[in-house]
Amino acid sequence: MRISDRRFALFLMTPAALFLAIFVAFPLFRLVADSFFKISPVAGGPRDFVGLDNYFRAFASEAFTGAGWRTLAYTLIVVTLEFALGLGMALLFTMLGRSSQIWRTVFMYPLMIAPIVAGLLWKFLMIDNFGLIGTLLHQAGILDNPNQIGWLSDPGIVLYSVAIPDIWLTTSFMCLVLFAGLQNIPGDLIEAARLDGARAPALLFRIILPLLRPVIAVALVVRGIDAARAFDTILIQTNGGPQSASETMSLLIYRTMIRFGDPGLASAMGTIYLLAMLAVAFFAVATIWRPGKDT
Amino acid sequence: MRVDEKTKHDAGTPASASAEPAARTTAARPRKRRSVNREGLEAGRRSTRTLLWILLAAAMVLYGFPFLYLLFTSFKTPIDTIAVPPTILPREWTLENYVNALGRSGVPASFINSIQTAIISTVLSLVLAVPAAYGITRYKTLGGRIFIMAALVTRMVPPVAIGIPLASMMGSVGLADTPIALSIAHTTISLPLSIWLMSSFFEAVPQDLEEAATVDGCSRLGALWRVVIPVVSGGIAVTAIFAFLASWNEFLFALLMTAIRSQTTPVVIANFQTQFGLDWGSMTALAAVYSIPVILLTLLLQRKIVAGMTLGAVKG
Repeated sequence: MRISDRRFALFLMTPAALFLAIFVAFPLFRLVADSFFKISPVAGGPRDFVGLDNYFRAFASEAFTGAGWRTLAYTLIVVTLEFALGLGMALLFTMLGRSSQIWRTVFMYPLMIAPIVAGLLWKFLMIDNFGLIGTLLHQAGILDNPNQIGWLSDPGIVLYSVAIPDIWLTTSFMCLVLFAGLQNIPGDLIEAARLDGARAPALLFRIILPLLRPVIAVALVVRGIDAARAFDTILIQTNGGPQSASETMSLLIYRTMIRFGDPGLASAMGTIYLLAMLAVAFFAVATIWRPGKDT
Repeated sequence: MRVDEKTKHDAGTPASASAEPAARTTAARPRKRRSVNREGLEAGRRSTRTLLWILLAAAMVLYGFPFLYLLFTSFKTPIDTIAVPPTILPREWTLENYVNALGRSGVPASFINSIQTAIISTVLSLVLAVPAAYGITRYKTLGGRIFIMAALVTRMVPPVAIGIPLASMMGSVGLADTPIALSIAHTTISLPLSIWLMSSFFEAVPQDLEEAATVDGCSRLGALWRVVIPVVSGGIAVTAIFAFLASWNEFLFALLMTAIRSQTTPVVIANFQTQFGLDWGSMTALAAVYSIPVILLTLLLQRKIVAGMTLGAVKG
């Protein structure tokens, strides 16, 4: 009386599938459904069908388009810097070999720290008046005045400043993944290229990076998705300010929903945001990854 | 390298598969013009190595300093915390901030909530992910392939988008503001990750193993439970750590779904900002108390964690 293997596999997957259907798919369905209604923030209040009106309002609002561009810029800043720093550290650890192992372990400690704590910590380092970074730069003679740079209060640079904790937290992840990828490159190949007279830049751009391509693709996509969803670090550092200069999409949706009490509009924004992320992620996987090529 | 060797015994990581034979062949080769015989990218010349060590030292100092500064600040007196100009080391070492932070009402309770939520969420993730991942990897059905893709797509869902509908769902079944509701929300984050990780670990288990067991009269479920699970226990531990950390450090769902009864510590830390003005001293002390146990735990278990982090990505 054995049930077939297919049935058995189905039986094993059903609980997890049900869980995701109830607690992810259903709320998403509610989100999309809500986006077509004008909803009163009061519980049990009126709920009127307005068609695509919320979408028109979202695209017409400067806050929404601004947050979209800021989210994109933020993601690019975070991912680019993390990748450059992570690759640098991974190469450093690889070149030092086994003797650097203990430092590799220590290097990953920020990964365990809550983003909210990281945001708080960097806010404390960059805050006006008693922030340490301004003071140290002043004492080193680089700045005339410790408050010359308003890391978190100057709308022109705040988007870069709020990205720092995120970069600090997860450069280790980039480094770990790239390091593991580097270990898979056969030593003979590097040796052969060296004997052929390849210098360091050629080695890096012609051999190492192309060979790491699939690893890099996964790391960039995984981190890109996370960075585009950033919320905790920004909320605690600036709450989106000053003058909304660091308000990314997650913060805008949160504020629209909670502070401005407009769940319909917030749902429309959330739906657009989700669709945009899916589109970008699929595009990125398709173009950078290219399974079967170059590997 | 040692990381890889160790994990291979646990559940096998593909990361090390080709690196090791390469290491052996180069080691066997006679010395060449480089002063020390090393593999591939490893620097040989002493001057280069010294320079690299200096670079590493600089990077470590820069990277480690922020958290050390948080620790130092937590030992300052409350007034020194916001002194202008700030000092790196406390002028006077004191535990005052710790006493203030931990004595504040709601703080000890929030620790219990954090622990409860993280444990429930970890158990829930494992109970759901282990059989699902096994079903996906062992029986390569179309449904399994679709399912793992769908699970990966849920990673892209911004928590802010499902937080509110989820909170109202929990409210309508009477679970509003409970650790159960929050741990279910946290499981929506950790379950896809756990399925992904566990699939990689099951992939490394040879199929003959449970075939032998079923021939010996075990049922498929019995073979999974008695033969396969013990083999991947290392992988399960890694998955558990990730699920635990995801819940322990989560903030947005906790903010949206808890009020007073089930508030977790990250929410309390964030609330210090508004509720009590800017109490930096207590905030740094609480942040230190909250972070240090997980940092220590994970440094102890680092080999397993490195294996888990790199597994999925390196495999591609």
